[in-house]
Amino acid sequence: MTGVGHSRDVNYGHPLRFGLRPVVGPGSGPEETARWAAPVQELGLDLLIVPAGPDGEEGVAEPLTLASWIAAVTGPVGLAVEVDRVPLPAMLARAVASLDQLTGGRVALTLRRPDAALGEVIDVVRELWNVLDDGPARYDGRVHRLAGAQRAAPAHDVVIGVDARDPDGFALVGRQADEWSTTDAAPAALAVGNAAVDAAARAAGRDPREIGRRLTIGGSFGERSGPFTGTAADWVGDLLPLVVEHGVGTVVLHTADHDDAKRFATEVAPALRAAADAALPPGWSDTRVRRSAALARRRPGIDYDGVPEGLAEVVEPGDLAYARLRGGYLRGGSPGIVLRAATEDQVVAALAFARRHPHLPLSRRSAGHGISGRSTNDGGIVIDLSLMNAIEVLDETTRRVRIGPGARWAEVATALAPYGWALSSGDYGGVGVGGLATAGGIGFLARAHGLTIDRLRRVRMVLADGSVVDADDERNPDLFWAVRGAGANFGIVTSFEFEVDEVGPVAFAQLTQDAHDLERYLVEWGRVVEQSPRDLTSFLIVPPPRGRRPALALSHTMVEAADEETVLARLAPLAAISPMYAQQVVVTSYASVMNNAADQTPVSRGEPVSRSGLLRHLSPQFAAVAAQVIRSGAIGWFQLRSVGGAVADVPADATAYAHRDANFSLVVMGADDAAVDAQWDRLRPFLDGLYLSFESSLRPGRLADAWPPRTLARLRELKARHDPDGVFRDNFDLADPTFDTRGRAL
Amino acid sequence: MTDYGHDLWFGSFVTPVAQPPGAPVEAAVLSERAGLDLVSFQDHPYQAAFGDTWTLMSWAAARTERIRISGNVLSLPLRPPAVLARAAATLDRLSGGRVEMGIGAGAFWDGIAAMGGTRLEPGQAVRALEEAIAVLRGLWATDEPGRLTVEGEFHPVSGVRRGPAPAHPIPINIGAYKPRMLRLIGRAADGWLPSLGYLPDGPSSLAAMNELIDDAASAAGRDPAAVTRILNLNGTFGGGAGLFRGTPEVWAEQVADLALQYGMSGFVLASDDPGDLSRFGREVAPRAREIVAAERAA
Repeated sequence: MTGVGHSRDVNYGHPLRFGLRPVVGPGSGPEETARWAAPVQELGLDLLIVPAGPDGEEGVAEPLTLASWIAAVTGPVGLAVEVDRVPLPAMLARAVASLDQLTGGRVALTLRRPDAALGEVIDVVRELWNVLDDGPARYDGRVHRLAGAQRAAPAHDVVIGVDARDPDGFALVGRQADEWSTTDAAPAALAVGNAAVDAAARAAGRDPREIGRRLTIGGSFGERSGPFTGTAADWVGDLLPLVVEHGVGTVVLHTADHDDAKRFATEVAPALRAAADAALPPGWSDTRVRRSAALARRRPGIDYDGVPEGLAEVVEPGDLAYARLRGGYLRGGSPGIVLRAATEDQVVAALAFARRHPHLPLSRRSAGHGISGRSTNDGGIVIDLSLMNAIEVLDETTRRVRIGPGARWAEVATALAPYGWALSSGDYGGVGVGGLATAGGIGFLARAHGLTIDRLRRVRMVLADGSVVDADDERNPDLFWAVRGAGANFGIVTSFEFEVDEVGPVAFAQLTQDAHDLERYLVEWGRVVEQSPRDLTSFLIVPPPRGRRPALALSHTMVEAADEETVLARLAPLAAISPMYAQQVVVTSYASVMNNAADQTPVSRGEPVSRSGLLRHLSPQFAAVAAQVIRSGAIGWFQLRSVGGAVADVPADATAYAHRDANFSLVVMGADDAAVDAQWDRLRPFLDGLYLSFESSLRPGRLADAWPPRTLARLRELKARHDPDGVFRDNFDLADPTFDTRGRAL
Repeated sequence: MTDYGHDLWFGSFVTPVAQPPGAPVEAAVLSERAGLDLVSFQDHPYQAAFGDTWTLMSWAAARTERIRISGNVLSLPLRPPAVLARAAATLDRLSGGRVEMGIGAGAFWDGIAAMGGTRLEPGQAVRALEEAIAVLRGLWATDEPGRLTVEGEFHPVSGVRRGPAPAHPIPINIGAYKPRMLRLIGRAADGWLPSLGYLPDGPSSLAAMNELIDDAASAAGRDPAAVTRILNLNGTFGGGAGLFRGTPEVWAEQVADLALQYGMSGFVLASDDPGDLSRFGREVAPRAREIVAAERAA
């Protein structure tokens, strides 16, 4: 649908919306306006205008306060708040952002009485809401200024409308506003206003369709005595040309009469919708028009206009949601487009779109923890699965559970807890299911229950060619083998079926111990863990020395037992390694230990360098080098996780996670690639294997570290069969032509 | 030793975190359930980590039935009084007279300037607050004749229609510590709202400060008892010694002491902890009232 149809008719493709603006007279209190909240909602109107009062009138209710009150007592109805005077636009921005956050995105703003400073008001508000750019907000206007203010966005892209009646106002709307609001229903007046708004918009490089058109009318039902009188059919006859020929998208009735409001909502609105649908081409209001300012942030090489329809959400670099979806918990990113899929069909459609862009990076994201950096990219495509987060119990007797890739492990643990079940995952509840459950899953129950993938019984996945297959021990057993340890090379898993474990109360110990003799501590911790029964799994963090802080070792240990005697017996050898600075031991549930992440994943802008390795024992030789690495200043994070136990019960060739003999997983993180590698190279002689999701290195040779030769050979053969075009190449690309068949760099 | 004989009341002081958006509102609902008389919110609009205090107050008022709502304290340099008067009256009417106007002359001037507010020197800030009080009271005084004009350097108002009228006389409580401000409170405010942690010598600072307020009130022909003394306090329930560190019983005795010795009658606990707010409302408040009633009767 283009802006201009045949002859001089104008329709901008804005879906029809209907609202109500209560009459507010001098002396009428805020209570009277608030009383309209319930009827507006019951009548199914889209919008309640919270009025600023009659023109030029002070002494009436303050509309933002009134809107907040009304919003708190209503459901989904939209609220357009009228604001007359704006002494401090930054405060208006804060109030509207807060209200929009509290309402989950139901707010619009209508600025009235445009004057010379209103353009600055809009600039300031938009700048404070702009969380796509970094750094504090600055603005130096004639009247208004921002001197390094912190940015805070509303929940959605709040429409800023302007009530304009003269050429200056029209020009302002065309340049800066999202909506033109008028009370003059005369077709000639609408034509003049639209023409002026559109001309100003085009002059400013904008598409006139970015700007909504809202008409506020007065009227009554009964005898026909002019426009918006008579029957509902008369009203429709009056309104239809304004919609079809003059682009009106939102019709607001200004009234004090409940019966008129009811007839407007229940008779006029549906009839006008039907009439407009009959008069305009099919799909006339289906196109989403982004702001020119948003379009300017698009990246090259992406067919934005060819994005498949029906995706749950399509997020571009100019969209507000981009600030939240561009990166993840530990890592920033600047993808060119984020395709959010909520169903398997949507995944297929998103993948087909990605395949049309073979030159661009393609990332898949479950929930966005993304240490290794594979869940976002720069300028490419991200298929985001976080909406596919269902957790269903399929069979209570076999403890069979189906989980979507976008669920987070805290949610999984919480869902399983009432059944007395748990599924070992990792050490952080904010991690998503998909990435972890296709790589391995080294969690707090690993030594007793194995890796997360060891409990996996079936997946349903979208392959590179777009086909959807089930894979388990019977169907596509090769794929099922590969997905457990190398899943990222083969497709997008849309659901996982696990056989979860019965897990009762657990003890969780957080010990802070002296580590001034670090070499000894590492060796002893390793020895104690290896000698402990399988019901103990321990993770150890050694913070690099800082200032005069004493050398510390922080261990998090889970013991799958609740009785004091067992718990103390398990912990005593750890506690005996060195003097204790602090200790906390609680008997709790696996779910409460996993419940350690904020509900909303914070979005980092960082680029951490992460290295992973697996090793069998913490020998004195390893400990000596590790202690030097920790003290080198090149790393900020050093963690050892115990593996072994049940993990080692699974034969090395049973899954694509082959390094079953490792008793420990090591992760080192730092800020500088070269500096970290220099230290890492000193540790490599002790390592055999790595854990994909903790490895951010892209340097050659990592394939050979990731999989032993036989596993790698089988994986490469499967890769050639299932992803011959190399669609999934972002995460340890098995088909990387710069490696020989044994995974060594050519 | 001063006891103005006011009834004791108890409140909470909530952090207006921006995420999750509903959390401060939940704290308000919880405060009401705990039997507290007031829920108050700090106001630092330059902090993006906080939601807008007034919007949260409005929302919280709509979600509660009995509890009084206040800023603690609103940043006047970012909340022009002519708008604030209408906002407060609007909320007071909608909430059935539950709004209190806790206000301060401004702090963190870098943040205020960053948001486009005007940076003021301490002396200017006092005068600006005095003008603001005149604007607030003048716009609320719909029974007074004519439109409102307040001449001034900072918040001049010229021929503005008064109203809307609040549902009840909204008390203006000021957070302040310095002599000029304390004298202004004595002359013009309904309440004094200091924080225990900012008192230079702890509770013993209250005596001299009260005296400044009382003298200024008397000089302006007001009864010193017309100024409510409210105290923001921090604390934890436990076994420790010191002010607001022990059991609810010990807290109650300390509250009673502050009431009887220093005339404090409003006690506002800075906490977002449901357990602490509940103990403060359900255990400390009734016991403190009991002790004070007994002492006053003796």
